[in-house]
Amino acid sequence: MGFFTEYLADPSTRATLIDQSLEHVTLTAVPVLSATVIGLLLGILAHRVPTVRQPILSVVSTFLTIPSLALFALLIPIVGIGATPAIVALTMYALLPIVRNTVSGLASVDRAVVESAKGMGMTATTRLLRIELPNAWPVMLAGVRVATLLTIGIAAIAALVGGPGLGQEIFSGIRRIPAAGSLEALLGGTLFIVALALLFDLLYLAIGRLTIPRGIRD
Amino acid sequence: MTDRANADTAVSPAAAEGTGSSVMIDLIELTKRFPGTQDPAVDRLTLQIPRGEIVVFVGPSGCGKTTSLKMINRIIEPTSGSIVIDGEDVTTIDPNRLRRRIGYVIQQIGLFPHVTIEENVATVPKLLGWDRDRIHARVDELLDVVGLDPEIYRQRYPKELSGGQRQRVGVARALAADPPVLLMDEPFGAIDPITRTRLQNEFLRLQAELQKTIAFVTHDIDEAIKMGDRIAILREHSHIAQFATPEEILTQPANEFVEDFVGTGATLKRLKLSRVREVDYTTDALTGRIDEPREVLRRRLHESEWTAILLLDADGRPQRWLRGPDFLHDRPVTQLGLPARAFVEGHATLSDALEEMLLGSAGVAIVVDNRGSYLGILDIDDIITSIQTMRDADAEFHRAAKLVDPLDEVAE
Ligand SMILES: Nc1ncnc2c1ncn2[C@@H]1O[C@H](COP(=O)(O)OP(=O)(O)O)[C@@H](O)[C@H]1O
Ligand SMILES: [Mg+2]
Repeated sequence: MGFFTEYLADPSTRATLIDQSLEHVTLTAVPVLSATVIGLLLGILAHRVPTVRQPILSVVSTFLTIPSLALFALLIPIVGIGATPAIVALTMYALLPIVRNTVSGLASVDRAVVESAKGMGMTATTRLLRIELPNAWPVMLAGVRVATLLTIGIAAIAALVGGPGLGQEIFSGIRRIPAAGSLEALLGGTLFIVALALLFDLLYLAIGRLTIPRGIRD
Repeated sequence: MTDRANADTAVSPAAAEGTGSSVMIDLIELTKRFPGTQDPAVDRLTLQIPRGEIVVFVGPSGCGKTTSLKMINRIIEPTSGSIVIDGEDVTTIDPNRLRRRIGYVIQQIGLFPHVTIEENVATVPKLLGWDRDRIHARVDELLDVVGLDPEIYRQRYPKELSGGQRQRVGVARALAADPPVLLMDEPFGAIDPITRTRLQNEFLRLQAELQKTIAFVTHDIDEAIKMGDRIAILREHSHIAQFATPEEILTQPANEFVEDFVGTGATLKRLKLSRVREVDYTTDALTGRIDEPREVLRRRLHESEWTAILLLDADGRPQRWLRGPDFLHDRPVTQLGLPARAFVEGHATLSDALEEMLLGSAGVAIVVDNRGSYLGILDIDDIITSIQTMRDADAEFHRAAKLVDPLDEVAE
């Protein structure tokens, strides 16, 4: 383990890792936020209009089957090099868990609850905002969390197409194998990604505590 | 549903508004054909629900009761026919406006799990734009009316309540904006039998004050007889087999379907129609205060014709039954004899009273008022006498019917 502590002790390495971590956070947060907005709308649409439900789910599932490296590369001619292709691609990947959990979250709301809301004269919009979404929220939030973890991992690959983030440190290591220091870089980048994932998990725990209504928290 | 004074101020009688006509809900040729089905689920249902009455829709499973009910607030849109409520044709008005005037209670209750009891009850007043103080006062009032202490339950969540308590909240929520009409679909169906009986009784007591116009669905003929001012016995496609008062249904079933549906034991069922307060129960039974000296109590019993004395507490609530030999034991009065059991209130049915007696194994039920204070004693002979009276009345009725029949034929 000695070789690794030496690597981490180097101030310039640490500065690089921290810079790249911040880039990585942005590279995760932007796609996840975009996917949450788009996924929520698609999920609500799929819930409300049964005929488009299957098409929507099929399309967002297909996104996830495209190999990430291929998708990044395919996007370069369209959106150029750098962070943009990565952000677009990661948004596409993050959609599936969010759309699917929005649909299943809304479907899981007790029919009697929705019917009684309707019976009391709530309009469809009020019902969605005041009854259906709050009750679907725990499942939806779980979808956003899965999307985040997925994105943190796949974001590392962005470095291969000139993107930012901790992927750069990992691939700098991979390219130099078996040269001295290559293994450390590989390990260092990976370790920071795992740490970021844990931090995000804690963040979601806190968001859950703050936003899930007490009556449906278990 | 205890606080009578509160209930009075809580809800003005439905009769205060509207056209004043005696028909509140008028269903005309109401029909529902679900897409992709051959036969209509409800076929030309025509029925009038009088203002201030409970009309029960009862019939075998799948006969169209729920569909009929849900067409009244257009949760299910009718295929054809019309709905007139309080003189207004509501078949095509904005359904949300319609629904805010109709209380809706379903078997699964459907309380909103993510908000407090207070917010649940406040739903319709909020939709109607009441101000906060008025809503707050109204919620407390209603929780009181359904027998839940607002201080304790206002801030609770549905998951923290028992099934019976949730159903009470469901009723409070439906009554929140004081709608003149209530629709209830098997409201007590998913509740254990003992709690169900209690909720039924409480609801009847509440209804006596509120006088809402109520369409009530059940598949249970006993519940129909107990709850209904009138009963519509429905068969397939919501065809009406008979629409009449419970008494008529029991004494003059219109056809074989009704006879079969009502089943045997019509006399026993009629016990569910007679209330304790209508019976001549004993009001001069021997009583004493539990804090009186035992010698005084013993002497009073000894000098009376009674075999037992009923001891009451300071508020007149029955505590213990003491017989002569019980005084031989050298124990405080509070430990002598048997604890008083089998309490019934005046509005309880004779059937409830009979059940209490059998459970209490004393052969008598103690009649109490709504605070639990002693009013009198009902014994099993009182019930037998009342069955005898019903039988005689029936026999007379049938004789009378036979005499009238030939005349009818002549008239036609
Ligand atoms: N949404 C629906 N689509 C098709 N058929 C339905 C639907 N709802 C009810 N039905 C049918 O209509 C008939 C009456 O149902 P319902 O009103 O629920 O009966 P009940 O409440 O008397 O048990 C049944 O045959 C039922 O299968
Ligand atoms: Mg039903």
